[in-house]
Amino acid sequence: MSLRRLDIPRPASVSTSSSGMPAALGGVRVEAVAEEWVVEDRWWTDQPLRRRYRELVLADGRNAVVFRDGSSGRWYEQRA
Amino acid sequence: MVAGVLIPRFALLSTLRDRETLLSEPVALAPVAGRSPLLGEVSAPAEAFGVAAGMRVGEALARCPELRLVPSDPEAARARWNDMLERLEGVGASPESDRAGEAFFACDGLRGIHGGRLEDVLAATRRALGRSIRLGAAPSRFCAYAAALQTRPRGRSRGDLIVPTDSRARAFLAPLPVALLRSRLELAELPDLLERLGIGTLGRLASMPAHALSERFGHPGLRARELALGRDTPLDPRRPVEPVVERLGLPEAISGQQLERALELLIARLLARPERRGRSLRSLTLSARLAEGGTWRSHVTLRQASAQAARIRVALGARLTELPAPAESLGIEVEAFGPPAREQESLLEDGRPGVGSREGSGAASRDGSRAIARTASREHRLREAIHQARQAAGECAALRVLELDPGSRVPERRAALAPYPTEGRTGSNDGQR
Repeated sequence: MSLRRLDIPRPASVSTSSSGMPAALGGVRVEAVAEEWVVEDRWWTDQPLRRRYRELVLADGRNAVVFRDGSSGRWYEQRA
Repeated sequence: MVAGVLIPRFALLSTLRDRETLLSEPVALAPVAGRSPLLGEVSAPAEAFGVAAGMRVGEALARCPELRLVPSDPEAARARWNDMLERLEGVGASPESDRAGEAFFACDGLRGIHGGRLEDVLAATRRALGRSIRLGAAPSRFCAYAAALQTRPRGRSRGDLIVPTDSRARAFLAPLPVALLRSRLELAELPDLLERLGIGTLGRLASMPAHALSERFGHPGLRARELALGRDTPLDPRRPVEPVVERLGLPEAISGQQLERALELLIARLLARPERRGRSLRSLTLSARLAEGGTWRSHVTLRQASAQAARIRVALGARLTELPAPAESLGIEVEAFGPPAREQESLLEDGRPGVGSREGSGAASRDGSRAIARTASREHRLREAIHQARQAAGECAALRVLELDPGSRVPERRAALAPYPTEGRTGSNDGQR
């Protein structure tokens, strides 16, 4: 068995508001965005990484961290 | 629909069960010795003097010099409340009760038994529990609590209050004060903050945007808004209780080492009870009748369910030091059982007597050789355990977390799962968590 990375991003179903902010995650309403940060890495390579992370407070009381991938524009959920 | 049953001042009523005439005087439950000097429940005449539960004794006596303090009797309150819950179960209800004097149950399933109407269910409840209860029904637990508070015991003024629909529930709650949220332990501190911000009623709270409440108060703010809107979590009825109690009368009020000896005896008796059926104990209540009057109770939840007398003795022994006065009798009650106890040898810790070094037993070389033997035995057991786990569940049954770049800003680069090494392992934990 080889190494298996932990905390791999999982594709997430995020619907956004007109301003581009997450409005719902997996059908659960987003009550608030608790934190927001950007991670940029490997900008010196031809596969740069740019993610805008947001920690969400959901209507069911959960906290979740999602990010939007800068190159593909897709949303992912990740334990951060 | 949820029905709410309230008996205000239940602990005080239970303590004064044969002296109820005292309730017409300023009287309060005395603070438990050894704990904060705060009053328990107080009678209505005491409240008229401005005395309230949770007030410091000095302040209460300054407000009402005639205030009479009676030692609390949590044992009596618990026994009486259990009796009432059983009577409630007798009419077919599955009550949820987090504190004595307060119970909730779903009524829809009971209509068929009691004539088809909600009023009939409430009438049956009143017949079972007596006329002194306050009873209300509403679509949610919190709303039923508020409805029951609005009622008075039968014969004094209006009877049971029914809030029939969700929309009526919201309208019913709207003018009520946010102080009602104090009935929920997790929201006990919220009403003060809300009142300071000028949010005095549940209607005002319900009209606030959810994101604003979330930002200012976090999850409790959202929770409070849901309650104000008439929504609540589903009921969690109590599970049937298996009363397993051991009590020991102490001929002379004792304390200290004798009390610990009594505790050992009680634990041994409890573990020998046939009702245990090999199960471990999850949580227990230690209780005592005090020589100077009153009773004392302390609830203990074990960090790990256990049937080992030594472990239980350590957990309960720590609570014995909180006993406020010498005890006339000591008791232990099982609140919850754990899974069946399997007295397995622990994998990595070797706690067998005689294996560790003994005081004064001698030579450092002998201690050194024992330590080497202990390490070798531990390694052998660990290898064997991993081997067996892999035989049963495949190669992936034993893995370890390997830290690759723990400080990375990219979460998936921080750690990975790797096969657990069994060959040439030295017991080091470097690089793993």
